[in-house]
Amino acid sequence: MTANKKGRLLVIDDEVQILRLLRHSLETEGYEVHEAKTGLAGLGKVPSLQPDAIILDLSLPDLDGLKVLARLRESSQVPVLILSVRDSEKDITSALDSGADDYLTKPFRERELLSRVRAILRRTQVVGGVAVVRIGDVEVDATARLVRRAGQEVHLTAKEYAMLLLLVQHRGRVVTHRFILRALWGPEAEEDTGYLRAYIIRLRKKLEANPSDPQYLKTEPGIGYRLVEE
Amino acid sequence: MSAPIPPTKASPSPAWPAAATAPAPGSALAEAARQPRFDPATPNHKLEFLLVFAVIAVLTAIGLFLPKSYYIQIGLVYLLAINVLSLRVGRWPIFTAGILVALAWDYFFVYPYFDIRVSVGKDYVLILIYFLVALIVGQSTARIRAQAATERLLKQQATALFQFIRLLTEARGLAEVAAVATRQIDELLGAKSTLSFAFEGRHPFELNFLEPSLVEQKELPAATWAFHHREPAGRFTDRFSNCTGHYVPLVREAQAFGVLAVKLPPGKTLSPGQSDLLEAFARQLALIVEREHLRAASEREKILAESEKLHRALLESVSHELRTPLAVIMATCDKFSRYDASAYPDFAAEINTAGQRLTRLVGNLLDQTRLDSGALKPHLDWCDPNDLINAAVKGIANALEDHPLEVIVAADMPLVRADFALVEHILVNLLLNAALHTPPGTPVSITAGLDLPGQRVFFAVADRGPGFPPQAQEQLFRKFVRGQGAPAGGLGLGLSIVRGFSAALGGGVALGENPGGGARITLYLPHKVANNSPPE
Repeated sequence: MTANKKGRLLVIDDEVQILRLLRHSLETEGYEVHEAKTGLAGLGKVPSLQPDAIILDLSLPDLDGLKVLARLRESSQVPVLILSVRDSEKDITSALDSGADDYLTKPFRERELLSRVRAILRRTQVVGGVAVVRIGDVEVDATARLVRRAGQEVHLTAKEYAMLLLLVQHRGRVVTHRFILRALWGPEAEEDTGYLRAYIIRLRKKLEANPSDPQYLKTEPGIGYRLVEE
Repeated sequence: MSAPIPPTKASPSPAWPAAATAPAPGSALAEAARQPRFDPATPNHKLEFLLVFAVIAVLTAIGLFLPKSYYIQIGLVYLLAINVLSLRVGRWPIFTAGILVALAWDYFFVYPYFDIRVSVGKDYVLILIYFLVALIVGQSTARIRAQAATERLLKQQATALFQFIRLLTEARGLAEVAAVATRQIDELLGAKSTLSFAFEGRHPFELNFLEPSLVEQKELPAATWAFHHREPAGRFTDRFSNCTGHYVPLVREAQAFGVLAVKLPPGKTLSPGQSDLLEAFARQLALIVEREHLRAASEREKILAESEKLHRALLESVSHELRTPLAVIMATCDKFSRYDASAYPDFAAEINTAGQRLTRLVGNLLDQTRLDSGALKPHLDWCDPNDLINAAVKGIANALEDHPLEVIVAADMPLVRADFALVEHILVNLLLNAALHTPPGTPVSITAGLDLPGQRVFFAVADRGPGFPPQAQEQLFRKFVRGQGAPAGGLGLGLSIVRGFSAALGGGVALGENPGGGARITLYLPHKVANNSPPE
């Protein structure tokens, strides 16, 4: 990471206006922004530039964004945020399954873009061993395996705790249904979203002030869940 | 049938085609016709008896010219004749031959001549032996001949079936299959036949024979019975035996694909072998019909996939071309409101509202395209009803600003098996509809619960607006139809999409009145029981 910058970002998008807009927003926040207008140009820049994160459009003039992502993942684990007008669940899940870290559809809000960028950058920055993570009035103490809400200890079953920990580790980022199910129940449970819904409802009842209007544990329709950052 | 069949001199009535007719050389049928007609020879007893009498008479006549001392040799010649005859004639003629030979030999050649009595006891033994030899030879050759006949029959059946299959596999499409099949059957059996393809699922059930004139109206019940019971009916069977037609269902794996109607000339019978063969033909036909169905289904599948691909391309370009500038407008406006909030607060909000409306409009247009192209494939998943309502409400928070919103989710509301995005769209459209058509300040409510206990779930959006004019109810679900007195804006796609999406999800929508005034639109979705007890 560069000395006086928050991080070096590579934006791969062919829309000049979007590029200008992103550059403005991101540079104002203190990021170093580089641009590529085609998939191949973007892939070519990665080795020399060594970006801390990539913002990738799916509709590019030369290569499909998913192909760019696949080629990128052959050699690099750099965090990738997909920024696209494609908003179908299928497009989003296939991007996430092929290694994207998060997804934002156009039109987007600046605030949301910045928080997504922060979250994907943290994936490479966080070194294990952050003892206590605080989300609103919920505290998760990973070393003591303790969860408190407004100072009161919350009792979670082993699976509920495992699910919460998974979400905490990915906080700020979307976690797909498939990913959670595979991590908690193994690959054969990948399609059993019924389990997942039931557990999320239970977790919300224990952690949220109003479980039917969750403030921390957000649903990403058709994709997965996202634990907010703060 | 397409090819006229020339009448034959030998046929009893010119209306009935005979097997021996020669179709145009070179056609596949010409070859088939060269095969012997499948009509197992019924032995002609009269001719055989005549043959036996003739042979014995000739031998006896020759014997009368020979010296009497040759009577042993004459006896042996008689035995030889019986042996030879047994190769040509059946059991009873041979039996008769045995008796005749014994009597003739005794009468003409054994002393005393021209007398049935014999002088020496050993001659009685000889006569008895002749008789027994004739009997045994007759029996055993008859058995051999019967076996040979069975084998010939089987071979003929196999050949006919092979021929039938070969011609059918060469046929293209069901129409040609039917033409080839009926022609083959007509030629093999000297019959007139026709086919009807039918499917049990179709309502009302109807058998439409390709050659309707061959099946009398009053015999249709027999054909229908055969179809439904998967057993032959009509003439030559126990069911509807007074019919003139014989009806064989096309059956494959307990499923009927149609009926084969065969009309034989009056007086002709259907041998068990022929009836077996007809059933074998029917099975082959069923197989081919099933194959054709599968082929047609895969064709439809291909067309649908093609349409989906086209739709995706359209969606891709339209959404890219419209949404990218929209994204720029919205994001710039977002920045604008943050930096210049104090100077021009309203302007940014105006741009934002317009932008959101345009975004929704683009979304609705794309949804309608998806519905119209038939490319809508719901992705069913377990959805938390609270999530569904939250997502819908959050998406249009601005539009709902002026309406107090009440959300009521029944305590026993289960998880819903549906496509999240589609249900969210439906709810968004219903809520927008309520917000747009009611005066500011009036409440809007959304209620979710189980309906008709355990059968379906519902989401009802109710308002306190003017309600729906009763005559316009059906109209409102049409494309590009906007309610009377609706405020400016909107394409009138909202409810059309609601109906299309809910149908795709296996549910429905109902317009109604909100008790106490206003409109109420209810979305019904099928209720499935979720597996809510995952392993720990």
